[in-house]
Formats: sequence, C-alpha cells, structure tokens
Amino acid sequence: MNAMEIRGLCKRYPAFELKNVTFSVPQGAVMGFIGRNGAGKSTTIKSILGLVHLDAGHVEIMGKDFAGNERFIKENIGVVLGGIDFYPKKKIRILTDVTRRFYENWDEDKYRHYLRLFAIDEEKRVDQLSSGMQVKYMVALALSHNAKLLILDEPTSGLDPVSRDELTELLRKIAADGQRSVLFSTHITSDLEKCASHIALIKDGELQYTGTLDEFRQHYAYLRQGEEKLTLEDIIVAVERRPLDENAVI
Amino acid sequence: MKTLLYKQFRLLCHPMTLIFCLFGAMVLIPNYPYSVTFFYVTLGLFFTFLNMREQKDIYYSALLPIRKRDAVKAAMVFTVFIELLSVVITALFCLLSARIQPGKDNAVGMDGNFMLLGVGFLLYAVFNLVFFTSLYRSGYKVGAAYVKANVALWPLMAVAEAVVHFPGLEWLNRVDLQANLRQIPILVVGALSFAGLSIAAYERAAALYEKVDL
Repeated sequence: MNAMEIRGLCKRYPAFELKNVTFSVPQGAVMGFIGRNGAGKSTTIKSILGLVHLDAGHVEIMGKDFAGNERFIKENIGVVLGGIDFYPKKKIRILTDVTRRFYENWDEDKYRHYLRLFAIDEEKRVDQLSSGMQVKYMVALALSHNAKLLILDEPTSGLDPVSRDELTELLRKIAADGQRSVLFSTHITSDLEKCASHIALIKDGELQYTGTLDEFRQHYAYLRQGEEKLTLEDIIVAVERRPLDENAVI
Repeated sequence: MKTLLYKQFRLLCHPMTLIFCLFGAMVLIPNYPYSVTFFYVTLGLFFTFLNMREQKDIYYSALLPIRKRDAVKAAMVFTVFIELLSVVITALFCLLSARIQPGKDNAVGMDGNFMLLGVGFLLYAVFNLVFFTSLYRSGYKVGAAYVKANVALWPLMAVAEAVVHFPGLEWLNRVDLQANLRQIPILVVGALSFAGLSIAAYERAAALYEKVDL
C-alpha cells in the first residue's frame, strides 16, 4: 500500500511549469525528493498540501482523495516547511497549547516524551530555538498527533552537519516500524544517502526518475566514471549541470 | 469554531484591538463625532490582521487539520466577536451618559442612542464586506484592503453624522425613550445588515481564498 500517490500534477506559472508530476511514497518508505533549487520540489509539495491551486492532477493520501478529505488527511500527516518559522515571538508552550486542540489524536504523553528526547525547553520562544531545534519541534508536533506520513520541505537547509545527521537518523527511525512514511525534499543529497529508501528526481518541473535508492543508482549507472561508487550528488550534478557558455562575459 | 476563536485570541489578537473596543467610552465626550469610535475598532482589527501576516499565520493555518476556507472563517468569527463587543461596550457607555449627563446635546453629530448603534452595525457590515473580499484575493495585502474599506467607511460616517441635523430628522439625535423607540428600526436594519453582509463577505472571501496560491 502507498502512503501517498500523486498523479499528473500540473501547475503553470508565468516563468515556471510543473509538468505532469507522478510518483508515490510506499508505506514505511523514506522518500527523498531531490532536484536543484527552482526545480519544482516546493511547488510539488505545496500542490500536495493544497496550498497552491492545481491546473490538473490528483493527490491521494492514505487511500483518500485530498480534495474531499482535507481535514482527515491533515489530521494524519505532519508537515515541516523549511524556512518558515511561525509566531517567532510566541513561547513553545503557548504554540503547542493552541496546536494540540486541533488534533483529535493528540497524545500528550508522546509530546512530553519527544520534548525530553529532543531537549526542547517549552518556555523558550520560537526564535530562541536554533534552526535544527525548530525542525525537531515541528517533528515532535507531528509525531504527537500520530501522523502516518511526514512531509518535510527542505528541513535540513541551513542546519549544521551535526543537526542534519541527527535529523536524518530520526527520520530513518520514524519509518523503521513500517507504519509511518516520510517524504523529504532536499538539495543536500548527502543527507539522503543516510536515510532514504526511495528517491524521486525532479528537473525543470518534470519528474526524471523515481524508484528505490538502488534502482535509482542502477538507472544512472551509465554516469559512473571509474570504479568509484556513484553518489546521489554525482547523479544530480550530472543531470542538472549546464555547461558555462565559453563566450559569456564574467 | 471555539478552537479557531481560541487560536485567534491566544496567538494573534493585538492588545490594541481590545483597547480600541473600550473607545466606546468616547460617547462621554460632550461634543464629538461618535461614529469615529467604530473606526478605531477597525483600526484595532487592522493591527491584528497585520500581526497575522507578520506571524505567518497563513502557513500555520494551512497545515492545521482544517479546510483552507476555515482560516477565513477564523478571521471572520474573530472580527465579528470584536465588533459585537465594541457595540455592547458603546451601548453601556450610552446608558451611562444618559444617566450622568442628562440634557447633553452633541453639537457635532449623533448622540449616544439606538441610531448610533444601528449606524455602528452598518459601518461594520460595510467594513467586513470590503475588507475581507479585498484581503482574501491575495491573503496578504492587508494595507490595501484596509484603505479600500476606509474609502467606503468615511463617507458613510459623514452622512450619518450630518443627517441628524437635517430639518425634520431631529428625532434621530435625541436620547429620550420615545425617540429611541422610533430609532429601533434603524438598529434592527443595522444589525441585519451586519449579519447578512458579514456572512456574504465570508462566503465570497473564502471562495476567493480557495484560488490563492500560497
């Protein structure tokens, strides 16, 4: 069973177009959604969440159509949008007090457990948390309402290597029970080597390939030079890089 | 509904929004255009809406287990709550004025009576209609929406303040029981307009917001 399926997502902007994006996140998978800046990762994720109005396409999460089941689906997913910090001057305690009221499945004991695990001080304001701690707090909120699917948009951008490593380990553990799944967009592909089971690559608004990490490497094996193992970074650079115009004035 | 209202008060309500509700006390000023008290309340609401934008409430609300249009509902329920609160506070100070300032005659405009409260409802009805349907076209252009709402509001206020001085309409400016009873239809029309236009404003704003790309 798939935790999420998207089919034929299309969205046209004046300077950018999302073209027929189709892929699925199997249950228990950590799906790395990769592409360079501006490739369409965030637009795809916003389309999945109904934040942008699609021109065409279909989003199904946990077997239910998003369009008619927005409340149910949002009750069962957790979302971390990188680079957006809500209510920076509010205390964590107050933000949680409001947020928990919206979720029928809120588990206060779990929330307390994750606060201790991530060493989050509830009396701090949101802007007093480091970027890494803000992401962990959002993950704690998601796990406390028993989200079955975590959707993270560029959560590791701006984090130091240690925080990134902690987060990727956390995501791997979340999906390890086979009940919860993760969709994780990033352009820092080295993070995915540690935790992703599946990969989807997007370029200029078009999905290039999706499959398990091994299938993905196999698909791009022709890019390998020599005996060295092909990394995701090697693949994305080879797929995305445009040669510099020799005649360009620098 | 209760949770949405709780969110608005706990996370977003600007202190000035509540303080401006107390400006209903301005009906105790001997001579003053009392309809301005309602303008101050819209100014307080403007501060809260600016706060919503700056705190990125759009994104927070979009991720909660509510429909996109429920974010508009939260804002409208909060706005209506504040406006009703201000009308009640103004009414209480009108009663106080009648008790402690007998024979007072506001030389500038309306006196503190049912006419004033009816006009207050009408002003809020127009404000809600223009402000919400303008704001939720984009979701973030708070200033432009507020200017548009005020362009509609101020001429109405000027007319309401002036009309009570027209020959034959002096009863609109009196505070005695008989005059107040005659003014009840104005209060009822104002209240019905407030209810009807606020609902219409919510429906239209929610439909516009569904099409907005965040």
